Amino acid sequence: MNLRLWSASCILLSVCAATRASLAQGDGPRMYWKTLTNSNAVTLMPMHMTGNSNPLDPAHVQPPDSSFEANVAMLGYTRTLDFFGRSGMASVLLPVGNLKGEVSGLPLDQQDSATGFGDVTLQLDVNVCGAPAMNDLEALQRYEPRFTLDLMGSLALPVGEYDSENILNIGQNRWYGRFGIPMMVTLGPWVPGERTTIELLPAVWLFGENDDYLGQSLSTDPLFQIEGHVTRDFTKSFWGSIDAAWFSGAKSEIGGASGSSLNNIGVGFTLGYQVTDNLLITLGYFSTINDNDPGDFRGDEFRLNFTFGWNSLIEGMKRLSEEH
Amino acid sequence: MAGDGPPARPNIVLIVADDLGYSDLGCFGGEIKTPNLDAMAARGVRFTNFCTGASCSPSRSMLLSGTDSHLAGLGNMDEWTAPNQRGVPGYEGYLNKQVVTFASLLHDSGYHTYMVGKWHLGKQPDLIPAARGFERDFSLLDGAGSYWDMTGLGVTAPRSTFTEDGKYIDKLPSDYYATKTYTDKMIGFIDAHRGDGKPFFAYVAHQAPHDPYALPDDWLRRYEGKFDAGWDELRIRRLSRMSEMGIMPADATLAERLWYVPFWSDLAPIARVLVSRKMALYAGMVENLDYHVGRLVEHLKKIGEYDNTLFIFMSDNGAEGTDVARMIAGTPGTRDYLFHVKNWSRNDPNAWGRPGSNVTYGPGWAQVSMTPFRQYKGWLTEGGIHLPLIVAGAGVQREAGSLNNSLVHVMDIAPTALEMAGVDHPATYDGREVARMQGKSWAPMLAGRTNSARGENDWIGWEMWGSRAIRRGDWKLLWQPKPMGNASWELYNLAKDPGEREDVSSANPQIFNELLAHWDEYVKTNNVILPSRTPFESLEDQLPMRIPVDEGYPPVKFKTPFVPPRESAPKSKGSER
Repeated sequence: MNLRLWSASCILLSVCAATRASLAQGDGPRMYWKTLTNSNAVTLMPMHMTGNSNPLDPAHVQPPDSSFEANVAMLGYTRTLDFFGRSGMASVLLPVGNLKGEVSGLPLDQQDSATGFGDVTLQLDVNVCGAPAMNDLEALQRYEPRFTLDLMGSLALPVGEYDSENILNIGQNRWYGRFGIPMMVTLGPWVPGERTTIELLPAVWLFGENDDYLGQSLSTDPLFQIEGHVTRDFTKSFWGSIDAAWFSGAKSEIGGASGSSLNNIGVGFTLGYQVTDNLLITLGYFSTINDNDPGDFRGDEFRLNFTFGWNSLIEGMKRLSEEH
Repeated sequence: MAGDGPPARPNIVLIVADDLGYSDLGCFGGEIKTPNLDAMAARGVRFTNFCTGASCSPSRSMLLSGTDSHLAGLGNMDEWTAPNQRGVPGYEGYLNKQVVTFASLLHDSGYHTYMVGKWHLGKQPDLIPAARGFERDFSLLDGAGSYWDMTGLGVTAPRSTFTEDGKYIDKLPSDYYATKTYTDKMIGFIDAHRGDGKPFFAYVAHQAPHDPYALPDDWLRRYEGKFDAGWDELRIRRLSRMSEMGIMPADATLAERLWYVPFWSDLAPIARVLVSRKMALYAGMVENLDYHVGRLVEHLKKIGEYDNTLFIFMSDNGAEGTDVARMIAGTPGTRDYLFHVKNWSRNDPNAWGRPGSNVTYGPGWAQVSMTPFRQYKGWLTEGGIHLPLIVAGAGVQREAGSLNNSLVHVMDIAPTALEMAGVDHPATYDGREVARMQGKSWAPMLAGRTNSARGENDWIGWEMWGSRAIRRGDWKLLWQPKPMGNASWELYNLAKDPGEREDVSSANPQIFNELLAHWDEYVKTNNVILPSRTPFESLEDQLPMRIPVDEGYPPVKFKTPFVPPRESAPKSKGSER
């Protein structure tokens, strides 16, 4: 019946992208917005990353005097859930692509590269405040969030391609994961074209041990991360975000030799455009800013995100609308 | 003046709600929270048989003049003056000089006279409130507009016209919200002139709850989900409460539901959410109105004027079932459509009620607001003209919280106010002859000396956009054009049939003929000219064909799904759950 309604619904739907546990940029803006239960989203996120640390290693272990370049894509699938009456979201992510790097000062090749699949990450996010499960269009229509708070956990499985002789790997050869508390505050009305949000994601990463990192053992302390976004609709289908992240910790020990802790800040921006009711495209750039000292982590990242979302209820309404 | 009645010259506070329905207030059977008006009703009298005109400016002309709108200049609304009415006295489209407002007479007799809110009776300098008896005013001269700023509703009035203390203004207070600001201004007027010993007349002509619906943020969602039961069920619930309260007879039945309003049960759940949000916004408007009425009442208590004040609360006409904004906006490619796109197109459901949105609730909910009556604003069925009225305070010596079922009319308020103030209505004013008041003073009734302002043979007439009606006691003669009527005279006994379901003209030919004679007299006395054009002239082509509305028909749409008897149900895994 109401084109406006399902159009709005689809906007909500297709921002439900697979979260992307990548690097300093973090998950990105509007990643924990809620929508109809049993919505689906497939994500393809090509990224180009450069820096002095393997960008697919969340611990950002830094070989000395290194530089890396990655051209990878994150493939993802997300489904929204009714988790005991609360909005929930389950995701699976798989990085795939190519890494190239140069390293000096180690008894290894000066240049190296890796190509293939990375570690599969599973993630579950459950709202605890402000977003009951939306099991029908009526609930979605009445959803006007003011403050939401979720609990989120993810786990990366060490199944990605890994060569212990190689300093560059897409897989990390260890279990790792994180716990986070995604939060969102809405400023002003929840009206498509007018929405403004402040989003915050404090999280802690925990790392298992890689017992074969260049023949040695690699262990890493927890990494604390706070990711923040201020997002704003420019029109009903076009929005932008200013992004920032701070991460601290992740002191690594390789074969008994300790490295230094990270204490970095990165900033960036994201633009999002709803191309159709089902397709959202975002473009983002992110860069570390306090990275002048030789030991600082440096990273720059461009990324595109194509998210295709659908929900059977909304697709059904569209069919009805077209037939009548 | 009532001899043992009120103290000499009470203050008079006349509060008018715009398009408020008969059954919306809690004290009239509604589920909307209206504690302040309920308290007013508990202290005073609710009139269950109060009639007005079928639209705003004719009603307001009768309110202020005490005489029929066809004499007072509002024989038709200014916006819809028909070609054959142009230039005819009584059809000027503004409150003409053949009448004098009771505000003028009260002011001349020593009252302070204040007005806030909607005027809709003329915009020229000699027609504005300051020229018609109000010494202080803050007035919207148009019939409707934004609650937030001066945005008008169409290209013929793109910017609302306001006056303050007799001067046209081009800026509103920075925190302007109509209902709040009107109340603030009235409180300011009252305070500014306290202490000189003069009584005051305060005319508080609220816009609320007239569309476009508008509410401050913290009022927007108070009724979200409260009307999910739908308009069909809500009418039943309201009538049940009205019967329990004695407002309607126990055996009263609902008016026939409008054939073009879908059965609630036939709507998809998501459609119900969107449609019920409109009613929720309307309800918020009504509660917000009540809140600001409460502010004014509390202020009068605080300054010691409460006990010596007569309060009159009324609605001006039936609830609005027509989407006037859509009617004005028309179709793409027109200048009014462009105007609405630029000014009134913030139309996402989550923006409804906020500045720039333009929402009204339509005929389904208007029927609820007018429970148990037939149709709504613009029509002379009871749904267009039968409204809530509360009278309380100084001069009211009837049992607190009582009901009065006698026939009263909006024209009665002017003579009532004048009698309470001890002022006579003159035959001439400012050197001109003025029409006599046709209303009947309630003062003796309010003092408890009589139960009705009218005798058995007193009658009242109406004409609006070609519809015609005569009321005498419980009898009502009605003529309405197709498709809302049959384009023929019908007779109803409203005591037995408030929903105007059964035309009893053939069983009561004598009464029919007597009332028909009253109609002829009404036309003659009031120079009624039936319009050659009306806003509803193409309605028969716009609406679906009028068909009988039978609850539950056809069964193919309304039967509940078949479920096998429990003992015969298939033994599937699912059936064990």
